[in-house]
Amino acid sequence: MGFRSIIILICSLMLLSACGHVEETRSARQQQATEFNQRAQRAFQRGEYQVAASFYENALQLDIAVENVNGIAINTLNLAKVNQVLGKTALAQRYLDSLLEDKALQYPSAQLAAAAAQKSLLSLQEGDVAGATTWVDRAAAYCAADCSLSGVIDNARAGIALRANDADKALYWSERAASANKSASQLEYANSLRLTASARLLKNEHEPALRLLEGALGIDKTLGLPEKIRMDLLLSAQAHEKLGHAEQAAQFRDRAARIAATAVK
Amino acid sequence: MKLPNYNQRLLSIEQRTQRFMLGSVVVMVLVLLMIAVKQDYFHRSTAILFFTPNAQGLSKGMAVKFIGFKVGSVKEVRMQPNATVQVTVSLDNEYVHLIGQDAKARLVKEALVGESVVEIIPGSQQVRQVTQNSVLEFERGQDASSVVENLAAQLQPILNDIHQITSSINNPNGDVQQTLKNLNQVTGGFRKTVDEFTKLGASSNQKLDGAYGKIDKALDSVNSSLETLDKGIPKLMDKADATLDNVQSATSDIKKITNESAAEIPSLVRNSNALVQDGQETLGGVKNSWLLNGLFPKPEEQALPVDGYVAPKSQ
Repeated sequence: MGFRSIIILICSLMLLSACGHVEETRSARQQQATEFNQRAQRAFQRGEYQVAASFYENALQLDIAVENVNGIAINTLNLAKVNQVLGKTALAQRYLDSLLEDKALQYPSAQLAAAAAQKSLLSLQEGDVAGATTWVDRAAAYCAADCSLSGVIDNARAGIALRANDADKALYWSERAASANKSASQLEYANSLRLTASARLLKNEHEPALRLLEGALGIDKTLGLPEKIRMDLLLSAQAHEKLGHAEQAAQFRDRAARIAATAVK
Repeated sequence: MKLPNYNQRLLSIEQRTQRFMLGSVVVMVLVLLMIAVKQDYFHRSTAILFFTPNAQGLSKGMAVKFIGFKVGSVKEVRMQPNATVQVTVSLDNEYVHLIGQDAKARLVKEALVGESVVEIIPGSQQVRQVTQNSVLEFERGQDASSVVENLAAQLQPILNDIHQITSSINNPNGDVQQTLKNLNQVTGGFRKTVDEFTKLGASSNQKLDGAYGKIDKALDSVNSSLETLDKGIPKLMDKADATLDNVQSATSDIKKITNESAAEIPSLVRNSNALVQDGQETLGGVKNSWLLNGLFPKPEEQALPVDGYVAPKSQ
């Protein structure tokens, strides 16, 4: 086969692939829902949570109207998350329940796993350790082999163990989560490091805890998450205090207090 | 290499070269034709003229529009011996019958950030239509920035007057402040006098004369304060009058400006809208073309990441 024939063959293949490429058609309503969702994402990133909630609600209504199942799941989960940040935990629970208890629509198992994991975290936040355990087990059941939430689920389990003051269990789950999250999600990796540090603090291993918290603080600062930065500083203060570094502990507490004073979430 | 084979290959190369040359000529002719169509060489047009004191904002090739449609273009902008500018506009013949001899040419900006165009303002229907080298009246339309500048110029003196009145009221040595201070003192004195008067009424009538004297004095003070107020108030009233006059004249000017630009503002907004819509359509077209669509991320609804962080109950 000559050079010219190869070129002709490549060109023909390119043309064929161009003709064979069928653009997915999306209705105007669906495009509008996507626009609302993207506006909400931007508002959420800017910390304008009320605005984000309103846009997600618009997107959800449009997705319900055209029965876009994936869109309904995504926007419901997002609404639960925004309301959790806004402190409306009861409303967040209701959004999650609407997904988890829906008998009419079949949502993808990854979305159901996310909903169950979020519900477990909400329960844990409210001090309901038993509820948190039930929901994290359900999340793990929904989470199939290619599920990207295994790191989050392990973190949730570590959090539950910490609430139960079970340092060994917490250390096991948080270290497992850290190895799963390291290459997958920086946000979740920082959570794993913080949880591992908390477990180490429980075990009176203050020096390693400080090193872990330093790592978590670096990531949280890069991601710009005030609440987590404050928590890293408070845990560092706790470690310094246990090590007898009263002055450094006071400095870390002061830094944490300054962040709290801004009231930026 | 065999000779007949070599000759055959030479012949083949020659034929291919001929085909290539022929193809190139065809493509060139097509391109020339397209340029000619674009340049309106196959269009029959009528040249009309207008004159303007200066050529600012006018340029060759500029679009000429009639009720929002492009009906021609500026062919020539030339300075006359008497230092005026002659502008020649080429109008498509199919639209000429719509434009009367009393139509006006107006230089307008299409949108806030759009390009300038010459707009033909239709005249009365009864008048004869324009013909070759007809001369139209020309005027310059106001753009948004000049409207805003005019408004700002009208509001400036009002703001100055208001500032002056406020300063005069706030000035501790000014008439108003002094009058209020005097009134305050008089009220205090008056209260004291009334107290004394009550005491006197209860104890004896001997000090009544003194009290009357003090009342007289207090009333004198009130009188003098009122006089100061009398003097001060007319000055303030004059200033307020002047300000109101300014406001009135500014209002009438603003009304005039608004009326003048009222016809242009809707078209300004409409054109801006159309411009944005065109831009969106173009971008949409580019995004959808199969060569480029891989470069743009597909808009998808996105979920917020599930965050495994749980805030502790009391920190």
